[in-house]
Amino acid sequence: MNPEKGREDGLLLEVKNLDSGYGFLQVLWEVTLTVDTGEFVCLIGPNGAGKSTTLKTICGLVEPKGGTITFKGEPIGGLPGDTVSRKGISYISEALNLFTGMTVEENLAMGAYTIKDKKRVKSHLDFVYELFPRLKERESQFAGTLSGGERKMLAVARGMMSQPSLLLVDEPSLGLAPQLTASVFRALGRLNGQGMTILLVEQNVTKTLQVTERGYVLEKGRVVLEGKSSDMAQNEHVRKVYLGVEGKGS
Amino acid sequence: MAETQQLQIEESFGARVLGWVTSAAGITIVGTFAVAIFAVIDKGPYIIVNALVTGGMWGLMAVGLALCFGVMNLSNFAHGEYFMIGTLAAFYIITPLHNALYENYNTPLMVVAPLIAIFSAFVIGGIAGAVTDKVVFAPLRKRSKEQWMMNCFLVTIGLGVLLINGHQLIFGTVFKGIVAYWDVPSISLFGVYISVDRIFTFLLALLVIILFWFFMKFSRTGRAVRAVSQDEAGALMVGISVPRIHTFTLAISCALAGLAGASLLFMFPSYPGVGLGPLYNSWFVIIVAGFGNVAGAIAGGFIIAFVQVATRVYLGEGWESVIPMLMIAVVLIFKPTGIFGAKVRGVWER
Repeated sequence: MNPEKGREDGLLLEVKNLDSGYGFLQVLWEVTLTVDTGEFVCLIGPNGAGKSTTLKTICGLVEPKGGTITFKGEPIGGLPGDTVSRKGISYISEALNLFTGMTVEENLAMGAYTIKDKKRVKSHLDFVYELFPRLKERESQFAGTLSGGERKMLAVARGMMSQPSLLLVDEPSLGLAPQLTASVFRALGRLNGQGMTILLVEQNVTKTLQVTERGYVLEKGRVVLEGKSSDMAQNEHVRKVYLGVEGKGS
Repeated sequence: MAETQQLQIEESFGARVLGWVTSAAGITIVGTFAVAIFAVIDKGPYIIVNALVTGGMWGLMAVGLALCFGVMNLSNFAHGEYFMIGTLAAFYIITPLHNALYENYNTPLMVVAPLIAIFSAFVIGGIAGAVTDKVVFAPLRKRSKEQWMMNCFLVTIGLGVLLINGHQLIFGTVFKGIVAYWDVPSISLFGVYISVDRIFTFLLALLVIILFWFFMKFSRTGRAVRAVSQDEAGALMVGISVPRIHTFTLAISCALAGLAGASLLFMFPSYPGVGLGPLYNSWFVIIVAGFGNVAGAIAGGFIIAFVQVATRVYLGEGWESVIPMLMIAVVLIFKPTGIFGAKVRGVWER
């Protein structure tokens, strides 16, 4: 697992002045963000701010209305989801979109759908089982019968099966007990440590700012703040609105 | 976990059998068997021959319809017209071949000619299905996803009218049939004389069912079809081209219908409206068996065929559709998800 670190010629993902929405409803206005290879970036904000829409537009499930999305120097705005997936972006949705009628192993095999080389698929499978040993135990179990935490693990694992260059993760901690939340963040941290580039959307701001290096705050469809995660954790607005703390902290 | 397993083993075999027999599926299947056995004892085994021969093909057609419904929520009311296209293709391929055989008798060609005709009808049906998806449904999907069911219903009714009248316009209303694919004496089986055509059609249905099963379970495209039927967004996210799978699904569905038409050409000559009967049969089958349930569709095909044959023999030709209609009414009142239908997780999985 060795994606090129620190490309000299441009950022991995560049989103410039993105306008997006659903039908007549515009949700995003001039959203600009970047993710460089190997970074762990977060996108935080309140419910309904448009965070999921941002990820969905980047990965091709929603068509942008304006602006540009550039991945590895190539424009990908407006391309369909499967094309974007094949270019190396894996989207782990909030709804997970697992194949509930298939087993854990079959779901993971589908994750590697675009890879024809059986040996590569096997090595990716081994990698993913090493990351999530619980999934190996439940190999032949139907995805629809897994517990909430196991399903999140399976969704991330399936996304990893194609060895993407960029992982878009949408609210992985939603609906999970604190211990499971911690283990999901740990897994993502480990992945990033091994070189995986991750753009994380979350409502759990405390943990998110601890784990990531850089972040953006999205409110009502616009980027209102950006900077290093450690700086954002000290930011007055962030502390008041998202952390429920008055005044600058230690 | 171990305790529940223990309990399940301890539930006696007899109790489980009784449970199944009194379920909707059990009642229907046992009932059909009972009727079939009674009919055979009463009138002789020749009764079930046509039921077995046509049952397999109605099953395949229903599988195609169930596939479309399960994968893309498409209710195809022009499905019978691909049966018609199959009969047409087969007729226009077998007739010159048979004429050539009259001039020069050639044993290998005599054996192979019907296979060429049937296989070509399968391919032509598939092409017709692919073209239909690209020309009719892909634009419809782009245009609007609202009211999809109603739109499909209306659009396919119109498509059916177009195809029926197209046949009439180009090929005329004449009945274009053949006496038999293989001009050989009938074979005696279990005291009944059965034509080689009928034996072949039955075996072909079984073969195609088995191949289809392998395809859906193990092939890459088969798995992709199942994935799309379970979660379309998920399928896109793993890199499956959903539009291509949609086209493929309609193509396979129409190819199966074309295959059915071609292999039953000796029973159903080609004429503009020949597809309507099979259309109604396909819908009977999937309503009774359960929408989107592919395995149930196969069993349902045989059930409907048996029921129709028994009705024809005991009540008369005109009553043929009445019993299936009654079955539909009963199913919709008491078990709308179909006799095999439970919560369907996808087109293949239950």
